[in-house]
Amino acid sequence: MTSSRLVVPPTVRATLFSHARAGVGDGPREVCGILAGERGIGDDDDADRVTEIHRVTNVADTPRVAYELDPAETLATIETIEETGKDVIGFYHSHPDTPARPSAADEAQATWTGYVYCIVSPTEDAVRAWRWTGERFDALDVVDAADTA
Amino acid sequence: MDVTVEVVGEERHEVSVGSEGTYADLLAAVDLSPHEVSVLVDGRPVPEDQRVETDHVKVLRLIKGGSASSPDGSESR
Repeated sequence: MTSSRLVVPPTVRATLFSHARAGVGDGPREVCGILAGERGIGDDDDADRVTEIHRVTNVADTPRVAYELDPAETLATIETIEETGKDVIGFYHSHPDTPARPSAADEAQATWTGYVYCIVSPTEDAVRAWRWTGERFDALDVVDAADTA
Repeated sequence: MDVTVEVVGEERHEVSVGSEGTYADLLAAVDLSPHEVSVLVDGRPVPEDQRVETDHVKVLRLIKGGSASSPDGSESR
């Protein structure tokens, strides 16, 4: 079952904002990285939980308005995540001064079908997430904790 | 030569290329565009037009995109 919720604990949310704010003060520029944790948790396996983030260098030509995770760094990081028994949940990037929602560029260039694309907006104080279906971004409910009932 | 093409996060493919085959030929065989992936050998990206010299490559779908507007509010894409 494809999850509809993304659990982002407060401590992880803080690390996302910390990284995003570093980008605001440096250019500004978009920052990016990988979300790792557990897929399919909760009573109905309807949530993914992010337990850690991994910063990856943005190698886009215009980091002010674009992001591209460094390929070699991404591969090494994914392999490390998997070796530690965690799942790759998806990826995050920041919008330094625009709203946290997918742009036309995000949709045109999404390639990881089934994975989460998360956008952090430090100006909106927002973390939002979508799952790329292969055709569109489906919005996810970002919560602090999985339901325990 | 026979090459294992491992698409990271997806499946492996076994592809045969001629002695002058390039990494772009491998991508074409698995229906991937060079514009949307990076081919890595021993963890390092290789040019797609380079001749294949290994029997195992990893293909990473690129993760990229960006915000819609430039600082003055105009569309940049």
